Amino acid sequence: MKLLVIEDESSLLDSIIQFFKREQFLCEGAGTYAEAVRRVEDFRYDCIILDINLPGGSGLQLLKLLRDDKKSDGVIIISARDSLDDKIAGLDLGADDYVTKPFHLSELNARVKALIRRKYSDGAHTIHIGNLKIDLPSRIITAADQPVLLSKIEYNLLLFLASNKNRVVSRQAIAEHIYEGPFEQGPGPEFVYSHIKNLKRKLNERGCREIIHSVYGLGYKLVV
Amino acid sequence: MSKSLQQKNTRSLLTWLPLVMLVGSIGFYLVLRSHIYHLQEQQLELKQENTWNTLRSVPGGIPLHIKCEYDIEKGTPAPRQLIGRQRDTSIYYPSVGHWDAFAVLTEQYKLGDTTYQITTYFSSKEITHLLIKLSIAEAVIFLLLLGAIVIINRRTSRTLWTPFYDTMDAIRRYDIQRNKPLVLTGRTGVDEFDRLNLTLTSLIDDVNRAYNNQKQFTENASHELQTPLAIIRSKVELLMDAPFLTEEIATQLGDINDANERLSQMNKNLFLLTRIDNHQFPELHRIPISHLLERSIIHYQEYYSGELPAIKTCIETGVHLQANSSLIEVLINNLLRNAIIHNVPGGYVHVRLTGKELWIENSGPILNVDPQRLFERFRKGREESRTTGLGLALVKQICHLYQFEVQYLHEEGIHRIQVIFSSE
Repeated sequence: MKLLVIEDESSLLDSIIQFFKREQFLCEGAGTYAEAVRRVEDFRYDCIILDINLPGGSGLQLLKLLRDDKKSDGVIIISARDSLDDKIAGLDLGADDYVTKPFHLSELNARVKALIRRKYSDGAHTIHIGNLKIDLPSRIITAADQPVLLSKIEYNLLLFLASNKNRVVSRQAIAEHIYEGPFEQGPGPEFVYSHIKNLKRKLNERGCREIIHSVYGLGYKLVV
Repeated sequence: MSKSLQQKNTRSLLTWLPLVMLVGSIGFYLVLRSHIYHLQEQQLELKQENTWNTLRSVPGGIPLHIKCEYDIEKGTPAPRQLIGRQRDTSIYYPSVGHWDAFAVLTEQYKLGDTTYQITTYFSSKEITHLLIKLSIAEAVIFLLLLGAIVIINRRTSRTLWTPFYDTMDAIRRYDIQRNKPLVLTGRTGVDEFDRLNLTLTSLIDDVNRAYNNQKQFTENASHELQTPLAIIRSKVELLMDAPFLTEEIATQLGDINDANERLSQMNKNLFLLTRIDNHQFPELHRIPISHLLERSIIHYQEYYSGELPAIKTCIETGVHLQANSSLIEVLINNLLRNAIIHNVPGGYVHVRLTGKELWIENSGPILNVDPQRLFERFRKGREESRTTGLGLALVKQICHLYQFEVQYLHEEGIHRIQVIFSSE
């Protein structure tokens, strides 16, 4: 999978590229509008991570250019602006998703994976983790052909960990991902612990032992 | 105790004008009286001269006594000290049965060897009457004048001060947070008030500018902070996956992460606060608050499965508010979050909603600070690292935006927040 990251903050750009390289993506980066234009004109990408504020132009402008050229690369906008107008403008211009800074890399990763699944998997909407199978359209989880009954929160939690398999995901990233509603005013990340506990118990009952690890109190990791 | 300008003005007029008028009246009376005495004297002297001339020139002589006119006597019967001096006397009128006052003058004249003594009379009754009538008329005129001055003064000052009272009203209604310019006319027709209004306008403009600069600064600062926060977060996430991670490094990384998360939450709340300040939520919709409240409570119950204080609700269905839905959600969630986080083991939360108010009561630790102060930014009831210290500031700001009244009562570990939607 080929990924282009367009972001003017070089250290953030580095982080994102480093993160996705470890996810086995072919990663390229662009720090200015002109460089980004050159890259999208010359190459095709499966997914473009696009910052709105760029030196020399706007990410929205670039997106328009891309869609006017009938290029269908998946685009996820990242922006420091938490404004609904930007979000609507971005999605109207044909962006596939929108993430607000500061975001968690694990969140961005989950979004990229979801986008790629939606765009390129041709109906194969299942995720396999060991003997665990997640069927995305029906939201049915089976372990060795036995159904595992999860609550909505536990399902979202498992899917998020699965998207970030073999990586440590922080409690805050999990909390922000699975909480529906404005997280800053929400319950705080403490609630994650009890849902992890329940999820682990349910997976244990179906024989999937020790696939979710707690990492020194930093967060959790789904190990395959 | 302060009095109004008009009261003060009237009071000083009523204190000093009568005094001035009293002194004026006495002076008037004294001057008038002295003129009248002078007139009497002139009249008496004229009469003396006429009588003496007549006595000398009429060959057959004239009557020696005419009552109340003159007496002519030969020789000098009167004592010396009475000669040539005006004096008062009373003469009895038997026909009408009372005494009348007269001014009397006695003079001596010589004709050959004979000395004549002539006494002339002038009725002072009419003169005294005139004096009294004039004084009364003067007093009446003065009283009328006093009334007129007070009334005219009150009328004039009322119209004169109207621009001043208008200015005061405008200033009282002015609210810097609503950020509307203060419009004061520079043409009141009174130079002093024009100057006052112009001075106030420029003062308010300066204050507004300073306030806006500060708001802009906060907004820019929290906006600029987002990128470094994102960088720190991404680096921490990369380090979490680093192969050399030991427990010690992980603990320190965890501390960095927690601090950074708290910082970014604080920043988001601060950003939200400045956006409310800057009126970036102008759109008003009919918000089903009953529904939002119930949904938020269900959310909390789902996410905190089993660890929550007992939540008891009494929510009137179908309550709507004219507001922005995300702000109302922020309001509800902050109040709920506060009631849940600042609770005690085995505690409770009561939520009540009516068309008039939202009322949340919870058990919790005893507060050492004035609950009203908790609405200030970064003010916390106790040191608590899980909170940003901005939740109640947000609540207050949202309530201020929609003109809700918000009250925080605390008594012996029972906390109650009341949001009153409308004062009617």
